Amino acid sequence: MSADGDDAPGGDSGVRTDGAGEDVVSSNRRTFEDIDWTAIEADSRRVPPLTALWWGLLTVLVSGLLFDAYWRFAPEIPDVPVLGLLARETGGAFSFPVVGVITPLTWLYALTLLFVVFKAIVPLVRDRRMTMYYWREFRKNRLAVLSLVWLAVIFAIGTVGPLFLNTPKVAPLEAYQPPVFMSVDSGVPVSCVGETINGRCHGTWEHPFGTTAQGKDILVSVIYGMKISMQVGLIGSFLVILVASAVGLLAAYSRGWMDEILMRYVDIQITFPTFFLYLLVTFMFGGSLFNMIVIFGLFGWGGIARIVRSEALQRREEEYVLASENTGAGTWSVIRRHLLPNVSNSVITAVSLLIPSLILFEAALAFLGLGDPTIPSWGEVIASGRRDLDRAVWISTLPGIFLFFTILAFNFVGDALRDALDPRNVGGES
Amino acid sequence: MQQPQWWWCAVKKWGYLVSRLLWAGVATWVILTITFVLMEFTPNAQYAQLQFSAAQSGGDPEQALETAKRLRGDTGTLWAQYTEFLSNIVSGNWGWSTYRSQPVTEALATAIPWSMMYGVPSLIISTVLGMTIGLYSALNQYSREDYAATLFAFMGISIPNFWFAIILLVFFGTVLNWVPILFDTGVAQNAAGNLTLGGVFSLANLRQLILPVVVLTTGSIASLMRYSRAEALEYVEADFVKTARAKGVSDRMIVLKHILRPASIPLATLLVGDLLGIIFVGSYLVEVVFGIPGLGTLSYNAIINQDTALVFGTIFVPTFIAIVGNLAQDLSYAYLDPRISFGDDE
Repeated sequence: MSADGDDAPGGDSGVRTDGAGEDVVSSNRRTFEDIDWTAIEADSRRVPPLTALWWGLLTVLVSGLLFDAYWRFAPEIPDVPVLGLLARETGGAFSFPVVGVITPLTWLYALTLLFVVFKAIVPLVRDRRMTMYYWREFRKNRLAVLSLVWLAVIFAIGTVGPLFLNTPKVAPLEAYQPPVFMSVDSGVPVSCVGETINGRCHGTWEHPFGTTAQGKDILVSVIYGMKISMQVGLIGSFLVILVASAVGLLAAYSRGWMDEILMRYVDIQITFPTFFLYLLVTFMFGGSLFNMIVIFGLFGWGGIARIVRSEALQRREEEYVLASENTGAGTWSVIRRHLLPNVSNSVITAVSLLIPSLILFEAALAFLGLGDPTIPSWGEVIASGRRDLDRAVWISTLPGIFLFFTILAFNFVGDALRDALDPRNVGGES
Repeated sequence: MQQPQWWWCAVKKWGYLVSRLLWAGVATWVILTITFVLMEFTPNAQYAQLQFSAAQSGGDPEQALETAKRLRGDTGTLWAQYTEFLSNIVSGNWGWSTYRSQPVTEALATAIPWSMMYGVPSLIISTVLGMTIGLYSALNQYSREDYAATLFAFMGISIPNFWFAIILLVFFGTVLNWVPILFDTGVAQNAAGNLTLGGVFSLANLRQLILPVVVLTTGSIASLMRYSRAEALEYVEADFVKTARAKGVSDRMIVLKHILRPASIPLATLLVGDLLGIIFVGSYLVEVVFGIPGLGTLSYNAIINQDTALVFGTIFVPTFIAIVGNLAQDLSYAYLDPRISFGDDE
């Protein structure tokens, strides 16, 4: 291994001094004096463009979110000072130029995707060597690769589809249309959109997945359901990661009574059966999708906070952390540079197995009718077909297939990630 | 190092048990307090409705609210309400269910046997079968059967309970007509509407309970299989197992005495904790799909009918069972596992 190929990332410029220096260290061994420290210092002060972009976008998003929240809620709370230009009478959303009104959910989703891009995809692209290593490990599990493709397709369709499709409308005349390639007795649909042959109504491409009892197109509902499931899974786990790492690291770092209080709270939160907690809170505060996701995020982090804490406690005692503390690194920099990156593998693995349960919870709550009535989700469509099992099987079964395979795919991917990311888990299994 | 005295061990063990007991009490109290705070800070739908109807009929909404609150005992300072709430919960006075027109505890008492009818068989089947399959998988790691079992476990974990129930109903109820689609409570009851032993174990009742048991078992058996496989794998290659093999101990004895015994300790604790959770959540949805009048359906109807007291009652039951389960888990750990330290650093 040569010193050239093993430079720290981002630090390759400025390390080499000049031709004369090169001659001195022809044996590829550089001593302390050979390095131009002033150049390195100048280099470290320059902010790389990607970092600048990250902080810029983050600032834009967070300030936009705060402004929107202020615009929405300030007039309703009496004690909030209403600043000159922003003085207004009524509450309600702010209509931004170009994009129009942004819902709270969209804000959170944008923040989540920003984090995914800059904290997962960018590092993966930059560190090719580790990426290839992870990919080789991951590829061993062929089902997981297939699952990843499935999830990518669901994510892509769920992101793009709702931009072009309107939410399915109630159309009583088009109720109970069978899916394409399927036929039912012509007595079942009110009026058959497709052909009626021998007293059987055949499905058409107009409604490839058929329609519900209200005449809503199931394919459109399923596409909207993809978006919702992805939002629930990604935003929910994003919130969980934020809270869990904050609490876990705080507990590990402060120790003493703070640690005790935080971990005892986690004990209680874990004791409470999660589903019933969600049920209770959804019952009390209403089941808008935003509420539901926030509830998932605020009450689902117990297990992962425990993982973060125990990992961080172990890492703190390791020599590289002690060394950096000895050379004068502050608490924050130790956490950011050493603890967080080292804890992240366990967190990612745990979260990839948390996502399917969040999606399943959302579907279950929607199935019980506690979900958001304005947005079609998989659970809601499954519930709507429950009364028509004897004549319109497709209403309940088709969205369920998507739900099942999405959860299965997340479980497979999580399992493969655990094998790939966790070096302690050699050859073993769960 | 000198061995500690036996009485010191006993003191530490009892100290541990007492601390766990106290902890269960604290957890219960915290959960009750949080519930009270939640109830206090959410607008009561019934009160709002009362005020609305009072205003509609020309009455004074404020006065109607006062009367309603006095009737429910929601008067006095916050502290007085809080202590009354706690003493009511402890003394079993869980409030009045408006939707069922009966005390919440009575509604719960009629519902719980229905849940147990399929919950208990499912618990037993998934424990026995799940542990057996998991153990077999671990002993034949990477065999074809192991892969099949793993795949089945993934399916079982991933399949949404309520959807699976619907699929089974369509197939076995509508297409094959083997089981009734509508759940009939009459077959298990006598003329007075009480459950009878003969009725519960009658063929008609057992037939309609098959599908709920199957659905509930798929989910729980899968996770039990995974856990028991992982636990057993830790001991398959352990030194003492190798020694036993080298000495010529029969396979049967190795599995039963050297692998199952150490592996069963964490599994026993898992059983009370996680499995109960899976069963409760599963039963909630399963009951709604099959129309079984158990705890889940009761809770669901309470939510639909905005019956706050009943909602809380039906959610308290699984929560308390979870707390007791956790306690039992800690206690059983203390007795089963000789290696546990009754923690100075616990």
